Amino acid sequence: MAGSALRRLMAEYKQLTLNPPEGIIAGPINEENFFEWEALITGPEGTCFEGGVFPAKLVFPADYPLSPPKMQFTCEMFHPNIYSDGRVCISILHAPGDDPMGYESSAERWSPVQSVEKILLSVVSMLAEPNDESGANVDAAKMWREHRDEFNRIAEKIVRRTLGIPT
Amino acid sequence: MPVVPLERLPLPNLKVYSFVSVVALSACIYYAAQIIKEPNWNYPTEFDKKDSGNAAGARNTTDADGRTVGQFVSDVFTVMIREPVCVWTMINMAFCWFILLGRAVQKLVFGDLRVSEQQQLRDKFWNFVFYKFIFVFGIINVQYIDEVLLWCSWFSLLGFLHLLSQLSKDRFEYLSFSPRTPFWSHVKLMALLAAIFALSGFMFVVSIFVGFFGGLNTFFFMFYEVLLLAIRTLHVIIRYAFHLYDIRNESTTPATSEESRTLDKRGPVSYYFELGFDLTALIIDLIHHLHMLLWSNIFLSMASLVICMQLRFLFHEIQRKYKKHRNYLWVRNHLEQNYPMATKTELQENSDNCAICWENMDAARKLPCGHLFHNTCLLSWLEQDTSCPTCRMTLNIQNPSVTSLEPPELQADPQENTRRPFNHFFHFDGSRYVSWLPSFSVEVSHVQAIRQNHMAATNSQLDAMARQVQTLFPHIPLSTIIEDLRVTRSVELTVENVLDGRLVAPPMFRDLNLDEPTGRHTLSLLSTEPEPSSRNWDEFNTDSVETEDTVTLGSRFSKSSTEREKILHKRKEHMIQQARKRYIEKQKAAATAVRCELQS
Ligand SMILES: [Zn+2]
Ligand SMILES: [Zn+2]
Repeated sequence: MAGSALRRLMAEYKQLTLNPPEGIIAGPINEENFFEWEALITGPEGTCFEGGVFPAKLVFPADYPLSPPKMQFTCEMFHPNIYSDGRVCISILHAPGDDPMGYESSAERWSPVQSVEKILLSVVSMLAEPNDESGANVDAAKMWREHRDEFNRIAEKIVRRTLGIPT
Repeated sequence: MPVVPLERLPLPNLKVYSFVSVVALSACIYYAAQIIKEPNWNYPTEFDKKDSGNAAGARNTTDADGRTVGQFVSDVFTVMIREPVCVWTMINMAFCWFILLGRAVQKLVFGDLRVSEQQQLRDKFWNFVFYKFIFVFGIINVQYIDEVLLWCSWFSLLGFLHLLSQLSKDRFEYLSFSPRTPFWSHVKLMALLAAIFALSGFMFVVSIFVGFFGGLNTFFFMFYEVLLLAIRTLHVIIRYAFHLYDIRNESTTPATSEESRTLDKRGPVSYYFELGFDLTALIIDLIHHLHMLLWSNIFLSMASLVICMQLRFLFHEIQRKYKKHRNYLWVRNHLEQNYPMATKTELQENSDNCAICWENMDAARKLPCGHLFHNTCLLSWLEQDTSCPTCRMTLNIQNPSVTSLEPPELQADPQENTRRPFNHFFHFDGSRYVSWLPSFSVEVSHVQAIRQNHMAATNSQLDAMARQVQTLFPHIPLSTIIEDLRVTRSVELTVENVLDGRLVAPPMFRDLNLDEPTGRHTLSLLSTEPEPSSRNWDEFNTDSVETEDTVTLGSRFSKSSTEREKILHKRKEHMIQQARKRYIEKQKAAATAVRCELQS
């Protein structure tokens, strides 16, 4: 029921506010609906996404934490594991039952002990090290493999756009 | 595409509609008032001579200019009842009142409807209209226009209450998503639910009354619907009451929330309560449909086909619920038999909270791997996945009787209840029943539902299709095409979408250079970009607008939700500004370094 989900989200929000992980901010967009959050993720240092601040939306199901939330970047993204509409494809966000890619072991998938913080940290490491086997964005995966410099240029451009600097 | 987008049906504006209705009614009243000015108006002219022969003679003597107001009104009414056009106008007016009433209730209780609520309402409405249409003309097979009218008014009232009840349920679920709902919205919603429940009692009386004259079958047809409405409403009311109780307890005892948890963790009680209501509603619906099918004696018509479709759906729902329940029982028994509750010392050693709900544990169940969880938390997780949430150790809970049950079905269950795709295709051949009825086909489809299904499409197939489309339109990135294909599932439709401009490249790719014919063209826009070093970074202002004590904001979690929102907003702004500043400074430094190198 939504009651326990709400309490858990409140607890997570509190924790994320009091001890925010480096470069990550997350919270409900509007507290009238506690099940829709916005997160800001800073691109990890030493990678092509360094310096950017990427906004993403998290939508939680009513039976959270039994089912994982859905995550979608609201800025333009070009990354092998992010669909062109911004949806994030990482194993932690997949419920144990569904396996769209067919290769993940269930150990990496969603479980109620995961949390928003862990999801966001996984997304940071995904930004740093794309998994080019997952086919969320085929073009990006191909470019990541074969034309890294070009990929980096696009990433640079995205970083500037998120910071509001003209490209 | 065969889908009729119901949203685009040209429904008239409510203001215009009520205005037209009022004007039409006034015209009718004026017409009637003109007629009764004539002294002989009450002579039967076009119908029923033998009945009114003596009555007219008797009344004609008293019918002078000295009418009272009451007489005048009743005379006008008599005239209007005789004239079919006037009757329709009055019915229209009643309908208009009904809509206005609905709008008033909506304004009073709900305020503006959210988009999803509107969509849900629209779906429910059309579904209801179609099913009732089929019921009236296919099952009951009414012959007379007054019978049609009676059924219509019954179903309008019923449908109105059903929709309100559904809306209240949606709204309640939405309100329970928020920690700061004002007390008044709860009161209003509860009052509305109670009113719906009371009205369903009234409708029960009506159905008895009608059944007394119309026969047992009619009574039952009306009774099922009323019962269904009452049960659904009661379900929401009770859930709501529990929820309010939880909230109240929480606010009175915030720190030691031991009692407050007992209700939410009612465990079996709440489980059986939900199951009981769901199953009762489903079974009543099933009986209703069976009754319709058996009674109507029309096994080979469109109506019976629709009923059978619905029966099949209901049967599957019940079966699913039953399987799920068996799984639940199995898991619960397994838990109770194989994993003991943690002892007091174990609880003390383990100071952590329950990893599932993050709340403190006074009693817990211990898994063989040594991890502790609340009993109910663990149970609801193991129902969908049989491994320890923390260490992923596989627990040997495989119910032999439900091995045939596909795991995804079980898994997707909570969402499926609310997002079951509504994709009904109706072909209604009206002339089969009553000669003046039209024939039509309509597909009621849920746009969202289609989108939800897209995950299911196989990737390799989509990929092949997408490449086919891309050979025609190389400027559109493959991923965009795949997205569209997930919806359309057809190369032709996607091509059509591109040609009609419905499918365009995302903004990043839009300004790209189309001249390049090769496969890498999609990203070539970036090669024309100026080198970062040639840019004058000094023109960028890095002085961020000073936000007061942004740093201290980070370490506070306010009790007031508006303050929390404000703080969060400031933190976000601060973060973006800082990142921007850092980025520009870094670029400046790089630019100066390049310049120094050039000078030296
Ligand atoms: Zn728990
Ligand atoms: Zn374990």
